[in-house]
Amino acid sequence: MTQLATMDFHPQPRPGEAKPWAFPAPERGTLDNGLTVLRCHRPGQQVVAVEVLLDAPLDAEPAGLDGVATIMARAFSEGTDRHSAEEYAAELERAGATLDAHADHPGVRISLEVPASRLAKGLGLLADALRAPAFAESEVERLVRNRLDEIPHELANPSRRAGKELSKELFPATSRMSRPRQGTEETVEKIDAAAVRAFYDRHVRPATATLVVVGDLTGTDLDALLGDTLGAWTGTPGEPRPVPPVTADDTGRVVIVDRPGAVQTQLLIGRIGADRHDRVWPAQVLGTYCLGGTLTSRLDRVLREEKGYTYGVRAFGQVLRSAPDGTGAAMLAISGSVDTPNTGPALEDLWKVLRTLAAEGLTDAERDVAVQNLVGVAPLKYETAAAVAGTLADQVEQHLPDDFQATLYRQLAATGTVEATAAAVNAFPVDRLVTVLVGDASAIKAPVEALGIGEVTVVAAE
Amino acid sequence: MPMGHTTTAEAGSGGLTATEHRLANGLRVVLSEDHLTPVAAVCLWYDVGSRHEVKGRTGLAHLFEHLMFQGSGQVKGNGHFELVQGAGGSLNGTTSFERTNYFETMPAHQLELALWLEADRMGSLLAALDDESMENQRDVVKNERRQRYDNVPYGTAFEKLTALSYPEGHPYHHTPIGSMADLDAATLEDARQFFRTYYAPNNAVLSVVGDIDPQQTLAWIEKYFGSIPSHDGKPEPRDGSLPQTIGEQLREVVVEEVPARALMAAYRLPHDGTREADAADLALTVLGGGESSRLYNRLVRRDRTAVAAGFGLLRLAGAPSMGWLDVKTSGDVEVPVIEAAIDEELARFAAEGPTPEEMERAQAQLEREWLDRLGTVAGRADELCRYAVLFGDPQLALTAVKRVLEVTPAEVQEVAKARLRPDNRAVLVYEPKSPQDVEDADVPEDPEQEATVEAGNENEETAK
Repeated sequence: MTQLATMDFHPQPRPGEAKPWAFPAPERGTLDNGLTVLRCHRPGQQVVAVEVLLDAPLDAEPAGLDGVATIMARAFSEGTDRHSAEEYAAELERAGATLDAHADHPGVRISLEVPASRLAKGLGLLADALRAPAFAESEVERLVRNRLDEIPHELANPSRRAGKELSKELFPATSRMSRPRQGTEETVEKIDAAAVRAFYDRHVRPATATLVVVGDLTGTDLDALLGDTLGAWTGTPGEPRPVPPVTADDTGRVVIVDRPGAVQTQLLIGRIGADRHDRVWPAQVLGTYCLGGTLTSRLDRVLREEKGYTYGVRAFGQVLRSAPDGTGAAMLAISGSVDTPNTGPALEDLWKVLRTLAAEGLTDAERDVAVQNLVGVAPLKYETAAAVAGTLADQVEQHLPDDFQATLYRQLAATGTVEATAAAVNAFPVDRLVTVLVGDASAIKAPVEALGIGEVTVVAAE
Repeated sequence: MPMGHTTTAEAGSGGLTATEHRLANGLRVVLSEDHLTPVAAVCLWYDVGSRHEVKGRTGLAHLFEHLMFQGSGQVKGNGHFELVQGAGGSLNGTTSFERTNYFETMPAHQLELALWLEADRMGSLLAALDDESMENQRDVVKNERRQRYDNVPYGTAFEKLTALSYPEGHPYHHTPIGSMADLDAATLEDARQFFRTYYAPNNAVLSVVGDIDPQQTLAWIEKYFGSIPSHDGKPEPRDGSLPQTIGEQLREVVVEEVPARALMAAYRLPHDGTREADAADLALTVLGGGESSRLYNRLVRRDRTAVAAGFGLLRLAGAPSMGWLDVKTSGDVEVPVIEAAIDEELARFAAEGPTPEEMERAQAQLEREWLDRLGTVAGRADELCRYAVLFGDPQLALTAVKRVLEVTPAEVQEVAKARLRPDNRAVLVYEPKSPQDVEDADVPEDPEQEATVEAGNENEETAK
């Protein structure tokens, strides 16, 4: 037998008294130009996080120009009326700042992070980009070529490839959501500076934008700073765009994206369901966590910790787009990679986990641990300014009140086992899941067909 | 604001302090108070990494790290995860060349639980370690390897560059993930022996950072860790020293199913902990850190021959550090075109040194990266352990940014001149192979035999 260290054992300690913590409440205001501003002072956070939301959603892209919102987002940091593209990048880095921008279904998001000591400089550069972007022809042309070069890299990545296929399967071909967020080769190559400028003119203005500033603002006169920077951004008044409803076909079926010789199969199993406007959201968060939130959740307890089929499988709910009237939707999905020979057995176990959940429900113990984790980690999760700013911006983007997250924590604590079970079972019904498998079709097709989880089709990886 | 219990602690590198302690069994302890948020980070560094592994057992340190989450004397099954998560905490472990770390971030009132858990596995892991968890985690780690390295384009690049740069037999010749064959060969007895050799209080540093009462924390640490016996007998890691430069240009061409040609290279650089390493960091930042760097401007903006171009630095204390160049070509551009441009830029930089503006930008970027690192209790706890384990002095973590800001342009130029030369690099070229071309493939890749690559130097325990 093994030689054991001789240490003194003590009983498991009991927790001390929890200290109060609440998700921070931002202060809301509006600049003269109509820009909505949310600010939040976080003592000690020396790197300030700034988020900008522009009401320039992907469904606003002109027909045949998918990707123009992405190119515009990237072109914001490629020169202004004061700086060339190279100078702009240099000035940002001189301020120790990073600036990222991306376009998604709800709109364009720009994230600036900058040390508090150089906030004025960072806000100035951000304001220049929004107020007077150069959109120079040669820079846009370069961004377009660069984007075209990226596409094969994305298609070669199993998880990106799976995401692309699932969107195509779920959403009607007429919906922007069925197509890649950043466009295809066919659409991207048609984008030029004029198209970017036209999209900007139509959809970017302070009156429909929101700015979120979070960090240690001690000694910062933010009003004066904003007045000198983003306050100088002008634009015509504008109404928020109407948000179209989201529809999807979740008839149970399987699509294999064939990658001959792949040593693993990438799984992405999904459908759409309730977003944060729905009363079921807290229960859905709780149930989804119990199903696949961590390696001690139901899926990994079997697929990883019992069978060793995977490094980890996760279930999650991610808002696609929300509307003020509650007609938005979230992507509900299960994803992970399993080794090729065990693809059939892993899917069989996965479906068994779902069926058992529907038949027997969650236990009170599972529910309790999930609540303790989801609520308990809040102070850790929101330690940095960037995390707080991201959530505040998400709330605005999803047409939710500023105290949504704070309220959610109270609702989670009040959600029972029965509600969480019902939400999880409704979120992942065994016969309404679209399964995308990126892997070696010759090895996995027959075992997957034998499972009876839906018709199996095979498509080329491209 | 709902928080802000004190005005003394600042989360920048400025106002931070740390105290050091040592238990009778040799466990070194570092504490740092910060009451801004009611959270506490626990970080435990064991002075063992993949460099301590022996031939035929690569990947053992990392596989063992997984086993540390499979229960211990008083903790059943997945209890380490369940108890921490159930307390509202988060946790993980990672393995690199030079160390293995375990960390928990807890709501402040749950700190004692994390200490109890870490002590339990440090003192009594072998009471729970069995064949079942060994076989299971072997499969999990093999799937980790497939997911992160073998099943992704260029996934094995880092492993190949490492194998090229650090010669056969060198302790850093292989990466922490290890080879499939060695993962298959590891036995339960290997794991037990590994624990007995390296997992001892006198081979570890424990840091606790955040909303803590230092006296109470130290009392808990004494209570839970104090009775764990120390033991010696840890073999010295094999010598990692190498000549300052490689002395020739090494080269490997890989024909694989990748989406585009790529040029990667590893430069041999000064050891971490030296002023020269900080100078090298600044040189790589000027040349290839971000979108105003020389290589980005040249290859991506002006020549438009690359999709992405950048430098990264793998800091190593027990062997020369590695400067890692990564360029993905645009369209049909051939590798020699890129290579000539890079050589020209590096030679010019060595001849002229950085401009004052470039120095300012590079230092501002590295300063922000340090603010980010030290801005969370978990990041600070990890850095305190790093400097304690690798350099014997945790206080160095708090002054690291100052040292970067003190480096002069002349020092940056000097290190570039001495190190960023064609005869001091290992080059890895990727040429795409389409699936139809298999019959031409004269280099069949066998992942069981070949050292393959990774995109980072650490192996995370969980898939997040």
